[in-house]
Amino acid sequence: MAEPILVLDGIVKRYGDVTAVGPISFTVDDGEFISLLGPSGCGKTTTLHIVAGLLQPTAGRVVIGGRDVTDLEPRHRGMGVVFQSYALFPHRTVFQNVAFGLRMRKIPRDEIRVRVRKMLDLVGLPGVEDRLTDQLSGGQRQRVALARALVIEPRILLLDEPLSNLDAQLRKRMRQELRDLQQRVGITTVFVTHDQDEAFEMSDRVILLNHGHIEQSGRPEEIYDTPATRFAAEFIGNVNLLEGHVVNADGPQVMVALSETLNLSGIAARPGFTARDPVYLMLRPERIDLHKHPPIGQDALAARIRRRVFSGDLMSFELDMESGHSLLCTKPSQDEFRGFAPGEAVWVVPRACRVLPRPS
Amino acid sequence: MQSSRKLLAAFLAPAALLYTVFLLTPVSFFLAFGVMRYDAIDLFQPVLTLANFGRIVLDPFYRSIILLTLKIAALTTVFALLVGYPVAYVLARGQSAWRGVLMFLVVAPLMTGEIVRTYGWIVMLGSEGLVNRFLIALHIIHTPLQLLNTQTAVVVALVHILLPFMIFPLISALASQDADLVKAADTLGAGRLRAFIEVTLPLSRTGIMIGSLLVFTLSAGAVVTPALLGGKAVQMLGQTIYDLVLHTLNWPLASACASILLVLQLCFVTIQIRANRRAPRPG
Repeated sequence: MAEPILVLDGIVKRYGDVTAVGPISFTVDDGEFISLLGPSGCGKTTTLHIVAGLLQPTAGRVVIGGRDVTDLEPRHRGMGVVFQSYALFPHRTVFQNVAFGLRMRKIPRDEIRVRVRKMLDLVGLPGVEDRLTDQLSGGQRQRVALARALVIEPRILLLDEPLSNLDAQLRKRMRQELRDLQQRVGITTVFVTHDQDEAFEMSDRVILLNHGHIEQSGRPEEIYDTPATRFAAEFIGNVNLLEGHVVNADGPQVMVALSETLNLSGIAARPGFTARDPVYLMLRPERIDLHKHPPIGQDALAARIRRRVFSGDLMSFELDMESGHSLLCTKPSQDEFRGFAPGEAVWVVPRACRVLPRPS
Repeated sequence: MQSSRKLLAAFLAPAALLYTVFLLTPVSFFLAFGVMRYDAIDLFQPVLTLANFGRIVLDPFYRSIILLTLKIAALTTVFALLVGYPVAYVLARGQSAWRGVLMFLVVAPLMTGEIVRTYGWIVMLGSEGLVNRFLIALHIIHTPLQLLNTQTAVVVALVHILLPFMIFPLISALASQDADLVKAADTLGAGRLRAFIEVTLPLSRTGIMIGSLLVFTLSAGAVVTPALLGGKAVQMLGQTIYDLVLHTLNWPLASACASILLVLQLCFVTIQIRANRRAPRPG
């Protein structure tokens, strides 16, 4: 397998006594699109700035293409950076903005003209070369910023929440567009976002950050289906977390006591659970089967519908279990489920339960 | 629409009244003397004439005063900009804990009078002053240097006195810039100096313009500082007008001088604003 293009090795960033990041380590393969996902203050932007060289790490190494660049100035790193504010030069035209990096590299004028035109075509912005950037819409400004970062043919594209200043409609469209562009150019991309949908839709791999450390990393499906921690489970999608204790563990299969009368089994998120360990049993709301009558041949749990929320494509049901737990269950908005009314007795069959560690 | 206009008028009325009664009216009256004939006994005769302006333009004495005024004002502006820009930069961008102290030092001169500060410079620059004594004590010189009554003394003192007027507009221009702009330039391959020249400097142009306007007009009209530190060696328009009004009692000529000073200042304002407007975008 080829050597990773970007390696972060034990990166730590401290401000006085406060540790903003780290220690964190991860690698990015050539051509990969990875997201640094996390709530605000989790250190994702700080990490991106350390990769760009705009911040100096307190400890650790940044290796790009096999070369240690920890002490290298940003201008020598060959990173293309798109800032959250876009940081377009307001006193320069679109052409001059995109040409800036090429001019700094002392590329001949004729070649600059050709490359800027080509890049503006690529990002879908022909014919605005002579406009000032404040005459552009948010989406256009975002494209200019992208063109300015890509035209220098960077080794890695670093994107700091580039979609957060766009309205909801445009944001969704730009996700696809950005991903398509990344695929076409084939450029390694590190994308910072607090938006789970963005990260999931666009990335090959997601690195979930919390309080400056990596909570979990993996393909979007992996993180969604098999979260490693309560934070990972709750940050992404909706989730039911039921507190309980391990009854017994048989390899990855763990039996959890949720109450005096209710035991459910699930797959362990990590090895090494033993009896009486405090755990969460995690159920995704859409992974719960809902029946009007006790299904034949399955162990179903009795419940009553407390609330029903209709949101167009989905129906959400809040269920009161006989055991006293409450459970959220979502179903596609089909005739089969429209008939379920509040107060009605139902039977549920949980599928794909996960067992997560719980601090005692 | 109508009511918002009335509201606007109400907001502006007090200032407009003040300006009209206490500024425009007396200044207009005084400037009107400029086209009257001088009379040694009645101060002026109500006869229209351009003789006062003719005298100022043709008499080498007055011409040299105008040129010197322009020169001192221009030098003061340039040096105030050169000295003030780094200070403004540190105050606007710096992270240092000393910024508060520095800000106080910038503001402090405004809390003392111009005359007090000018006398301070006399103490410094006199032939028995601190500078000369220091240089003699170090055996760098043997006889005191002529520091007072020089153009240099006037420029140095004016720069010092007017520096805050340069620094504050610069701070506001620098502080309003997106700090990511320089970072962006850095990632695109510009070094610190290059990023400053390409981004920070052009975007602080409005601050440079306003600061320069203030310092130029204030130094061109200065009276006390050139009078006390320049003496007879540095005769500027401000002192000349003062002398003509209070000592020579030639009000028409004083008025003509004042008109010319006003026109020079307005010319500078116009040039600056034009230049700023012609650029692709005010920063």
